[in-house]
Amino acid sequence: MVEKKRVFYIRRAIFLLIAAAVAIPLLTRIEFPMIVGWPAQNLYDFVDKVPTDKIVVVSTSWSAGSQGECAPQTAALIRHLAKSGKRFAIWSFSDIQGPELAQAIAEPVTKEYNREYGVDWVNWGYKTGASAMIRGWAKDIWGTVKEDMEGTPVEELPFMEDVHSHEDIGLIVDISAGALYGVNTVNYYIQFLKGLYNVPVGYACTGVMAPEAFPYLDSGQIVGMMRGLAGAAEYETLVGFSGDATRRMTAQSFAHVLIIALIIIGNAGYFLSKRRRRVEEAQTPSSGAPSPPEEQRE
Amino acid sequence: MNAVNPEVIWIGAICTLAIYSILYRENPFFRLFEHIFVGLATGYWVQLIIVQIIVPQWGKPLFVEGKWYWTFAMLIGCMFYFIYSKRYVWIARWAMGLFIGFSAGLGIVAFVAEYIPQIVASFRPIVEWSNGDFHFDSLLVFITLIVVMSYFFFSIEHKNRALSYSAKTGRWLLMIAFGAIFGNTVMARVSLFIDRVQFLLFDWLKLQS
Repeated sequence: MVEKKRVFYIRRAIFLLIAAAVAIPLLTRIEFPMIVGWPAQNLYDFVDKVPTDKIVVVSTSWSAGSQGECAPQTAALIRHLAKSGKRFAIWSFSDIQGPELAQAIAEPVTKEYNREYGVDWVNWGYKTGASAMIRGWAKDIWGTVKEDMEGTPVEELPFMEDVHSHEDIGLIVDISAGALYGVNTVNYYIQFLKGLYNVPVGYACTGVMAPEAFPYLDSGQIVGMMRGLAGAAEYETLVGFSGDATRRMTAQSFAHVLIIALIIIGNAGYFLSKRRRRVEEAQTPSSGAPSPPEEQRE
Repeated sequence: MNAVNPEVIWIGAICTLAIYSILYRENPFFRLFEHIFVGLATGYWVQLIIVQIIVPQWGKPLFVEGKWYWTFAMLIGCMFYFIYSKRYVWIARWAMGLFIGFSAGLGIVAFVAEYIPQIVASFRPIVEWSNGDFHFDSLLVFITLIVVMSYFFFSIEHKNRALSYSAKTGRWLLMIAFGAIFGNTVMARVSLFIDRVQFLLFDWLKLQS
């Protein structure tokens, strides 16, 4: 009973420590310098090289549940696009909330750089249909998109005048927090846009998804990548802007240091108690009764 | 991104704290908000599906633009519901067969487009004889591929010393890979927590100067 109570309080103490490790750096506004990794650098460089006669598609495959990572990624990318004068279209084929949340991010940023909606950027909203729709979209954007998020027909948007097919797309960046029908959203683009028409694809994903995306970077199927919040902070550094991601990375670093310390302490405690038990067992004369299994002893 | 309306911020803060109250212990406050959250999420999705899919992408072409062939979408959709009838379950199977065949066809195209470049990228030269360049990355990929595959080679017992060492090395390399994935998972979860803490501190408590 005492042991159970002890475990109960230790766990709550750990939760409080994590909360403090996150809250204190946020409040004190400490910022660490960011070292930019090559995946984010490659994505940034590629965005810069997109020709002016082509558009960048910002695919927002995320919802409110993952905005902790994906919103700063979207904000950093849109800032770069607005700052460098690239024309871009927001949309999603996997998450209904994505375009709405991205709209809220894009409006103030584009306003800051005097980019006009319908001319410099558009929001096509959510389009259903997964792989079949993506294949159709690659060949006929007008026929698939039909209207923007507010219901304005594509014919009435000056942005769309020279945007008809995959040939008019300079880069697709999929900002993703998951999969559609068991397939990661970026794979749809890799399969049907990169694979069939050689349209360059960039990727911004949650930290959990990053390790499995590296083979696509090595094979050249994606041009660059933002890895979770760290990737967003790296991208902000490249854009020359200190936003949410940069500020949150300090809290992230503090939390990581604390978690590593807790793992070391926990393991040290485990091995020490194991050793102590072994010494105690060696000192106690055997009663002949079989010793209980390890889990029971704990 | 974050709600500007003070009432909405208060609701958001109460919901966040209610959900985090599970960290102390199971309580009715958490249960209540958990159910509210599930109900809200379901309602929100139903509303979005009606407003963003059914009405503009099916209803409008059919009823406003007069494209009669969109009735087939509804008919095929309704065919799925025959799964509840023992007598007419074959109708549901027809619809499923249609979709499975369609997916299989697309799957073949997808496989070729996605995996052939992956296979090609796995066979990079370790040493380029033309200029004498040595690629450590390629060597590491090659060794990892062999030893990890040997770990999953169960056709013969791992009594052979070479196979045993190779399998053990494969297991260690797998553990390193899983460690990297775990590290990224921790980063992702902490990021989500930071987002909430930032909302509570700055949007709700207005602690930001």
